[in-house]
Amino acid sequence: MVKFVLRRIGLAVLSLWGVATIVFLMTKLIPGDPARVAAGRLATAEQVEHLRTALGLDQPLLTQYLGFMARLVQGDLGTSVTTRQSVVTDLAAVLPTTIQLVIVGMLFTALIAAPLGITAAVNEGKASDVAARIIMVLAGGVPVFWLAIMTRWVLGSILGWFPISGTNSVGMAPPNVTGFTVLDSLLFGNIGNVWDSVTHLILPALTLSAPFVATLSRIIRSNMMTAMKSDYITFAVSKGVPRGRIIMRHAFRSSLGSVLTIFGMQFGWMISAAVLVEAVFGLPGIGTYLYKAILNQDTFSVLAAVFVIGSVFIITSVIVDFLQMIIDPRVRRAQVGAA
Amino acid sequence: MSDQIKQQPPAGTGRISRPRTELLTIGTGNGSPTAAIGQALGGSVRRLFGRHTPWLDKAAFVLVGVLIILAFVGPLIAPYDPSVTNSALSLKAPDAAHWLGTDELGRDVLSRILAGAGLTLLSATAIVLFATFIGVLVASIATLLPRWAEEIIMRACDIFMSIPGLVLALGIAAALGPSMQSIIIAMIVASWPSTARLTRGILRETMTNSFVESARILGMSRLRLMLRHALPNSLDAIYVQASMEISGTIVMISGLAFLGVGAPPPSPDWGSMIAQGQQYITTAWWISLFPGLAITTGAIAFGLVGDAVRALADPTSRRG
Repeated sequence: MVKFVLRRIGLAVLSLWGVATIVFLMTKLIPGDPARVAAGRLATAEQVEHLRTALGLDQPLLTQYLGFMARLVQGDLGTSVTTRQSVVTDLAAVLPTTIQLVIVGMLFTALIAAPLGITAAVNEGKASDVAARIIMVLAGGVPVFWLAIMTRWVLGSILGWFPISGTNSVGMAPPNVTGFTVLDSLLFGNIGNVWDSVTHLILPALTLSAPFVATLSRIIRSNMMTAMKSDYITFAVSKGVPRGRIIMRHAFRSSLGSVLTIFGMQFGWMISAAVLVEAVFGLPGIGTYLYKAILNQDTFSVLAAVFVIGSVFIITSVIVDFLQMIIDPRVRRAQVGAA
Repeated sequence: MSDQIKQQPPAGTGRISRPRTELLTIGTGNGSPTAAIGQALGGSVRRLFGRHTPWLDKAAFVLVGVLIILAFVGPLIAPYDPSVTNSALSLKAPDAAHWLGTDELGRDVLSRILAGAGLTLLSATAIVLFATFIGVLVASIATLLPRWAEEIIMRACDIFMSIPGLVLALGIAAALGPSMQSIIIAMIVASWPSTARLTRGILRETMTNSFVESARILGMSRLRLMLRHALPNSLDAIYVQASMEISGTIVMISGLAFLGVGAPPPSPDWGSMIAQGQQYITTAWWISLFPGLAITTGAIAFGLVGDAVRALADPTSRRG
């Protein structure tokens, strides 16, 4: 058990190092003078030269690489040309918004995908199955940023059901403690703030969940269909167990195995999809940060954000693995056996 | 040893080859490879339009055919020049002259969508082809190498895959500077590792077949084994994999273009059109709406075709 945990953490560290190396190689892809790019378009020749020395860009490649790694280990991702602040400070400020969005997005995904998949599976071939599958196909094909623009326009601008941008209305932002607006509102203890923060989250999180609902509900549907045809379900039916109980207690529970794995992996994918959704809704998360950095040709901030997203992805996958080990004894035995 | 060989039916007979491998058994037959390919494709087409294929799959194939034709002839049949601006026609709602309206610079939205069809669909196809080629190459080499070298290559793939594809591609494209080529290069770099991983899995599975084992016991070299048996018998599974990738690639290309790492403004690609129309959404919804519908249509059609190809190749995996 301890051996497995250590092995998994070792692998994660190896991946982090790999991601850092990939990001370093990306800086080598920049055409022209990287010091010029790092200093920004408005920099003087003197500033460019200063940065060239500071970043060691006049040194041999290996020295540059070691210097890059040394700065990274110390948590130095450089200075943003746009905000004139340390990129780490910038990213630390925006990351909670993204994580909050992704968590709520995951919640919506589970709440929509499970009923959709179950309904489709238990009514296989009937109208409700066809309807559910049409929803799955549509949700899987629609580009999330376009869906975001459309829901924002229809549900926000035209119908006025939801606020159209930002995390809070003017004057409704809670004092910043954790960076998670809903949590901050709760801490602040004003129900108006809580309501305001939650309503600002619903539309972005709902849009974000669409492609993930498609994947997850398909898997739930096919797992459930297999489960419903199994001997123990036939047995339970013949024993007279109520249908609802059979579906939920017997079939759904046993079909959760691979669902949990996929669901865990989706957390990482959702962070990258959140980049697109945030850019549309103007949520001050890592996506909007990336979007602005690309517009300003602030390439080094873009790459720093890529590194941070990669790291979050790696760390969450470790956490997911551990959680699964705690939840599912079968996984625990299999993995300890393998390690 | 000879007993063992006798017990197994020879390669290609129905009993050991599962339904999936029967579709395309290129190279293992006696005829020339081209004849085998022709035969296999003819078989697939017959099966595709036979009565056991669901109508939805047939419709998807037809739709994809139409989209591919549009990708080539789109610019020719566009009613207007997609890049000519005319301030007098700015932000016109859809009407008889401009079926899908005009954008802020007075350009015809329908003409721009048609002109952009090739850009999006052909780029997506090119990306999937190149990524599959590199992935298959890497996987084949890795399988031929000693165990430890294979392990290193596959770990490297895992590390690439530990950055979400969109973000990895975004970083590379941003570093290369905004252009369609950047997106294509970035997407190939971002997607070959997963192809390599999947192909390695497919190759390993093929290697467990008894005809491969028999050939190995008969003293065939590893390289020859790979080229004559493992790779040809894995091709169908690789095609299925590739056909399923196109749909997601279309959506991802447009996402990257939307974020601004694609071709600079006058380019009519669908993602950029949506991005440009975003600020006019409340007054001129048609600028963003129609390119998005085009992407969705493309993604769903190619997605259904991917599923259908898989179902044709392996009836037991009928989609859920």
